[in-house]
Amino acid sequence: MFLYYLPLIVTVSAAVICFAANDKISKILTLISASVSIPVSLYIWVLNSVSTQFLYIDAISKIMLVTISIIYLTTSIFSSSYFKHIPKPLLKKNLYWAFLNLFVLSMFFSVMVNNLGLIWIGIEATTITSALLVAIDNNFPSIEASWRYIIIVSVGLVISLVGIIFIYDQTHTLNIANMLKNHASESRIILIGSAMAIVGFGTKAGIFPMHTWLPDVHGRSIAPVSAIFSSVLLPSALFGIIRISQIAPFEDIKQFMFILGILTIVFASIFMINQKYYKRMFAYSSMENMGMILIGISLGKAGLLGAMILLISHAFAKSSVFYLTGNILSAYKTRKIAHVYSLVKNMPYTAYGLILSSLAVTGAPPFAIFIGEFFIISAVYHIYGFAYVIIILLALLTAFLSINYKVAKMSFSERKSTQKTKDEWVSALIPLINLTLSFCVLFAIPAINNILKGITG
Amino acid sequence: MKEAFVMVGFLEITLVIFMQWQVYLKKIVDTFSLSSYAISIFLFVDGAILNNINLLILSALTAVVRGFFIPFFIRKKFRKEYYLEREIKSVVPTAMSIVLSLFFVVVGYIVYHATLYNSIGLPGGSIPIALLFQGIFLIMSRNNAFVQLIGYMVMENSLFLFGGYLFPELPLVIEGGILLDLIGIVMISGIIMRLREENVSNIIDEFKEFKG
Amino acid sequence: MLYLLNGLQLVYVVFLSPLIIGIFIKLTERFESKKGPSIFQPYYDLYKLFHKQSVVPKTASAIFQIVPYVTFSMYLILTLVLPIITAFPLSFGPIVDFIGGGLIFGAIGVLKKIASLDSRSNYSHLGTSRASSIGALSEPIIILIFITFGVISHTNNPYVVNNIMQTSSQWYFSLVHWFVVFAFFMALLIETGKLPIESHSNNEFGMIDQAIEMEYSGSELAFMKWGGYIKQFLLMSIFLNDFLIPFWVPMKVGLGSVLIYGFIHMLKMLILVVVFAAIQSTVSKYKLFKNFEYVAVAFTFAFLAILVYFTTGGSI
Repeated sequence: MFLYYLPLIVTVSAAVICFAANDKISKILTLISASVSIPVSLYIWVLNSVSTQFLYIDAISKIMLVTISIIYLTTSIFSSSYFKHIPKPLLKKNLYWAFLNLFVLSMFFSVMVNNLGLIWIGIEATTITSALLVAIDNNFPSIEASWRYIIIVSVGLVISLVGIIFIYDQTHTLNIANMLKNHASESRIILIGSAMAIVGFGTKAGIFPMHTWLPDVHGRSIAPVSAIFSSVLLPSALFGIIRISQIAPFEDIKQFMFILGILTIVFASIFMINQKYYKRMFAYSSMENMGMILIGISLGKAGLLGAMILLISHAFAKSSVFYLTGNILSAYKTRKIAHVYSLVKNMPYTAYGLILSSLAVTGAPPFAIFIGEFFIISAVYHIYGFAYVIIILLALLTAFLSINYKVAKMSFSERKSTQKTKDEWVSALIPLINLTLSFCVLFAIPAINNILKGITG
Repeated sequence: MKEAFVMVGFLEITLVIFMQWQVYLKKIVDTFSLSSYAISIFLFVDGAILNNINLLILSALTAVVRGFFIPFFIRKKFRKEYYLEREIKSVVPTAMSIVLSLFFVVVGYIVYHATLYNSIGLPGGSIPIALLFQGIFLIMSRNNAFVQLIGYMVMENSLFLFGGYLFPELPLVIEGGILLDLIGIVMISGIIMRLREENVSNIIDEFKEFKG
Repeated sequence: MLYLLNGLQLVYVVFLSPLIIGIFIKLTERFESKKGPSIFQPYYDLYKLFHKQSVVPKTASAIFQIVPYVTFSMYLILTLVLPIITAFPLSFGPIVDFIGGGLIFGAIGVLKKIASLDSRSNYSHLGTSRASSIGALSEPIIILIFITFGVISHTNNPYVVNNIMQTSSQWYFSLVHWFVVFAFFMALLIETGKLPIESHSNNEFGMIDQAIEMEYSGSELAFMKWGGYIKQFLLMSIFLNDFLIPFWVPMKVGLGSVLIYGFIHMLKMLILVVVFAAIQSTVSKYKLFKNFEYVAVAFTFAFLAILVYFTTGGSI
């Protein structure tokens, strides 16, 4: 039993010590805590599902745990090499580590607890702990982005809290195990409550109506923070939606989620076409992937399996993309796509890594994202028919073309280049490892299928 | 108790409209503090009548955290010349925003009666929904970080009024956690807000990147 | 008997209204620690103006000269149809209700504006445009308040409203009623030209209603001013008798009770005047464009009253 609490304990103790310790000790502690949580979460994966007074760990929690802990480690390593590129950080280094640990702690917390209200608190806590990480560049746009993040996400979460209170009104408990055991009967209040909760958590996940903070934050925060945001924070918010969809498995709710997902991917792909900043472009790509995952969640069964595959492989691939954009930003000192050129010549590892990762995040065939999207789209075909498949495919195609065209332009366009930069091994290696992991998810699909059997049926 | 609920609710609505009217931040913060105390007193009386210890604790927490601590913290973040702390330019003209805020109260009433009234059956139930809309509108209509934060807290206040009255048996852990989260948000925002307000005019010029 | 009371009410309003204004001016000055003019100063002013020669702008037409007399007589009609010192309708009572009274007030406003436009003076035009733009927003408030009262009492008759308010403590203490009171109080400050809206100095920046009568002189000006005094007196009386303190107004015909109430009414007016004077000396004037925010808040209160009625059904 103690084992289940271990990820929480190591992160919280690392965070507490980091507040007091100096930079070096904090860094080492964070790395230790991250490397401890990976084997623990992998071990939890093979253990049985758990439901106690406090913990509720099922297959989805396990998947989230593994993903979060791996991204935690890679982000920690990458941050340590990225720090020298920040001229005047907002926080001292040890505080950065402390907040990073707290941030991961709140994500671990929200995927493990057995109470819908506590899940809400955990997701709200991720806002608090990560707001300063966003503003760490300490220039006006990043502070503005951080402020928008705080206010928009908090407002969204208040909406979801109202939804949760409505749900509570019908179920008279917030304990997830109990709620799953005795399903509430369909009534107007629970429908409205679940819809509000979905919109609220969707705010945090970058789902359509209240997504506006997402590109600002991803565009302006530093690379490791963007990476951890895009790869695990957004899925953690989606985790709340998954729980809601399990608690209120009604047809109306599913259709509502499906429509939100469609709107999200359509909007994201439209905004990607004319994007002039590469980090913002990838932020919209995250939005699009989250939309796909939401569609998968709404479909259930094969769709949910596809969503989980997509979630894991997107986490690795997108974190790789954002690490690499960090390398580009530190070398070229610009966020504009038009000002980046000859990547292949100047930074070959970064360039090829970026090309492959952007192929991966847009769902090119050999990567697991393709498989995930394939599952989801075939489920859409079975349930909603061909018209929606066309819409989704068009949106995905638009995203694929615009991202890969722009990445290719950044990589291969020639200019009278005077810029001589070279790759650093750590900052080029970590993204490549993540990219490889994203590819390897392909081989883990049977395992994922196996573990999800209880849920997807 | 129903009467008291409606009275406190409409007091809250008028206080939000007053905030919408004001330009000076100090007055807005004071108004917010007053509205929190009103909710706290209401919860206290409700708890005393229902003999519910949860509500009493919640009332005390509301008074201490929202009535006293948060306004105090925000006031401390002001410059020495507090009268300089004012909205330089708002997104919506003030007279218009007052009428729009009223409009959102009406929208809340209609939405409540169209969706939830049949299930809950409480006539005053439209008030918290109206307050939610008003809070969102307060955030959207102003550019100042302090006012936006207060708009957010107005939303949470409405939630406490609603939750405290309709669901007094809601687990205290949840409400305590919400309050803790709120403190966290205010602390973090305190850092960000000060930095942002010092340079708000510069930021607005650099917003080109944030479009699209 | 009723005819006697008609005459009594007319005399009461017409001859006491300058006194109320005099007391108001005196009190405002006293609040500012000045000595202030005598409370009978408005009478002296009127007396002086009646003995002066009147000058008419060369460009003005006959309307300009007629309007002061017409408006003054319209105020006299209004005096006879509103509950001032009686809570039972006098002989002219049945001819108009709240809306009708509002229409007569509106007609007076229109006539004044036409006359001021007729004078071809820039300052008058300025006052007209200001009064019109604020009036366009403040009229709906008054209408809304009347509608709310219509909802409460199922009638628009000011006498009936007064009787209901006097007898039914449930309505008197209802939230709806107090929202209406507040809204009407704010509207009253607009209509009587009190401070946050309008300052009565000779500075044209703050002028609204004052600028309208800029070109008048002699007995025409006296009638305009006197009409203004009566207007303030009437509005304050309505506020007191139908909204704030509807008590003690005699509901049965009788000379003695009406005479006694005449004194009580003066006391009520005095309280209101003290409140006005306190506001006058604590609040500073809004910029002209901030007036609209004030009007918006007043409108909000009037509208919330209706919303409260629908939320509670008038049970509190």
